[in-house]
Amino acid sequence: MPTCQRLKELMISELMLDMTADEIGNDTPLFGPAGIGLDSVDALQLVVMIEKHFGFKMADQDQAKRILQSVNTIAEAVDQKAAA
Amino acid sequence: MSRSILITGANGALGLAIAEFFLAREESCHVFLGVRERRERAQELAERFSARTNLVTLEVTSPDDWKAAVTEIENKAAPLGVLINNAGFHEDALLANMAQDQWSRVLDANLNAVFHGCQAVLPGMMRERQGRIVNIASLSAISAPAGQTNYAAAKAGVIGLTQSLAKESARMGVTVNTVCPGYIEGGLPADWTPEHLKALKMQLPMRRFARPEEIAAAVFFLASPDASYITGSNLKIDGGLL
Repeated sequence: MPTCQRLKELMISELMLDMTADEIGNDTPLFGPAGIGLDSVDALQLVVMIEKHFGFKMADQDQAKRILQSVNTIAEAVDQKAAA
Repeated sequence: MSRSILITGANGALGLAIAEFFLAREESCHVFLGVRERRERAQELAERFSARTNLVTLEVTSPDDWKAAVTEIENKAAPLGVLINNAGFHEDALLANMAQDQWSRVLDANLNAVFHGCQAVLPGMMRERQGRIVNIASLSAISAPAGQTNYAAAKAGVIGLTQSLAKESARMGVTVNTVCPGYIEGGLPADWTPEHLKALKMQLPMRRFARPEEIAAAVFFLASPDASYITGSNLKIDGGLL
């Protein structure tokens, strides 16, 4: 399964989102009113989820901020790590 | 499912009662008794239930000790599913006469320790997406008696920490609740005279102190699957005193 799709499905189940994977665009902002509307608790969960399912550990908050922009930015980071 | 239970302050009457309650009612659990210097009674319990009980050295005000304790538990037994923050003590004085270190020691042991404990166990609970934290506060958090500005503030702080953390961890399958016990048999200052105890009982609606197992039962319930929708709550157990 492509990383973006897997991420969306994991997000829906782990963040308990009441939406389908099709409703989450690859470039839709994850946070804020213009996007999906995740909050800081979701951000923490995303960090744990990504580490648990992809073995990718964020180095610090700045890196997390850069990566947790959209499904695409996460997928890029995860795929880059897998290829390294 | 098997889970590990960590109880701090496990050499005292309430800590021991909580441990015994879990051991008696949850056959698959493994209980870790967090102790510091005094450990005789906890040791005795650990010997009685040697297959399912271990002592773990834990100075609750030390983040390093917490880290080491959690690592030890995770290496030895099932994932840490329950943390009971029970350790604490009071050192009473009127605020006008209270030394700075009397204030700091009580805040450290009763409030900062709860922060360190929660921070140490949360990553594992979040990974497992399940966990139960029960913080033992005190009726003093609500009644705030004279002479306990430090203790009442610390325990009220525990209630606030609990409510806030409950919101942070709700979606991660981790519940956080507080219990506020009133007077408990075996948990009263040793220098209180029989006359003083008698007079105190007369003021209680039930005219008796709580048995430790009566508090333990509530703690056990809050840590059970039946309490899955209870988080951020504060349960007062005082025989109707307040």
